[in-house]
Amino acid sequence: MIPACLGLVPFGVVCGVGAAGAGASWWSALGLSAIVFSGAAQILAVQLLAAGAPVAVIVLTCFVAGLRFLMYSAAMAPLLRPLPARAQQALAFLLTDQAFAAAVRRFERDGDPHAAARHYFGGGFALWMFWQATNLAGYFAGSMIPASWSLDFAVPLCFIALVAPQFRSRNAIVAAAVAGVAVLALAWLPMRLNLIAAGTFGIVAGTVADFASTRRTAR
Amino acid sequence: MSSTSSLWLVIVIVGALNYASRLSFIAFFARRHIPASLARAFRYVPAAMLTALVVPMVAAVPHAAPEAGLSAQALVALAPRVAGAVVALAVAWRTHGTLSTLVAGMGTLWLVQAIVAGAS
Repeated sequence: MIPACLGLVPFGVVCGVGAAGAGASWWSALGLSAIVFSGAAQILAVQLLAAGAPVAVIVLTCFVAGLRFLMYSAAMAPLLRPLPARAQQALAFLLTDQAFAAAVRRFERDGDPHAAARHYFGGGFALWMFWQATNLAGYFAGSMIPASWSLDFAVPLCFIALVAPQFRSRNAIVAAAVAGVAVLALAWLPMRLNLIAAGTFGIVAGTVADFASTRRTAR
Repeated sequence: MSSTSSLWLVIVIVGALNYASRLSFIAFFARRHIPASLARAFRYVPAAMLTALVVPMVAAVPHAAPEAGLSAQALVALAPRVAGAVVALAVAWRTHGTLSTLVAGMGTLWLVQAIVAGAS
């Protein structure tokens, strides 16, 4: 998880810069990163708040952007089943894109779920601490970074690193293509509602393509 | 409502919803059977949602007028970001590494930025 930590430095810094730019106090910025612990949701929340969107819209957008956690939770559930409830609750809090990617590989390789869980907890907690440090660094020192570096571009790059392995499946490419086209075509919608709409279209398109492909192979 | 209290309201509600999503199948629905069609839809959530998040971030040129449209200047401003994203996607596809993707994407962005600045 160390390379994942290093890769998240610019992302955390950008989140901290965003919170400072939206006029949040340092302890609210820390509360946001410590409690929400999801870079995409943090960025959307401060952007929408700065744009004057109502709380209900911000909450809905962040929830839809976090729908992928439902999928990660479903994939992790059988792996965590042998563990006590307390451990499951703690590990669920640390479930992020990066922790999920690392944990699935670890649980599949290790025969012992308890050893894999200890490794996941250690790595996830380190990632959480590291995330707070980079967010605070961005909050306090972000204004010293020259605009010509285009550091904001590190955020889509982190998500590209996560989404690329999904493109092994043709149906996932369909889902991504529909979502990508829809989010641009619907950019005129107010308050980033294009994100919710495009995400939904993409998921439906991927599922339909999946049903169509299994029907073809069944025949 | 002041913006500080709205921010804390957002932190508490989004934090709770995020944690509920993360805990959902691990705890609440652990003993429930997931319907096959729902499980199938789940598979496409990351590809669709991550792409919907990424595309506007790549297409957003900071400090550009939002109503600029598809003018020649807008395309030139967009070129470094699109090139960076395409190279990053190719590297991410091959290496699966966050760090190598980041280095390749930022490197391409800076390189094309320098070329565009030199040409104009």
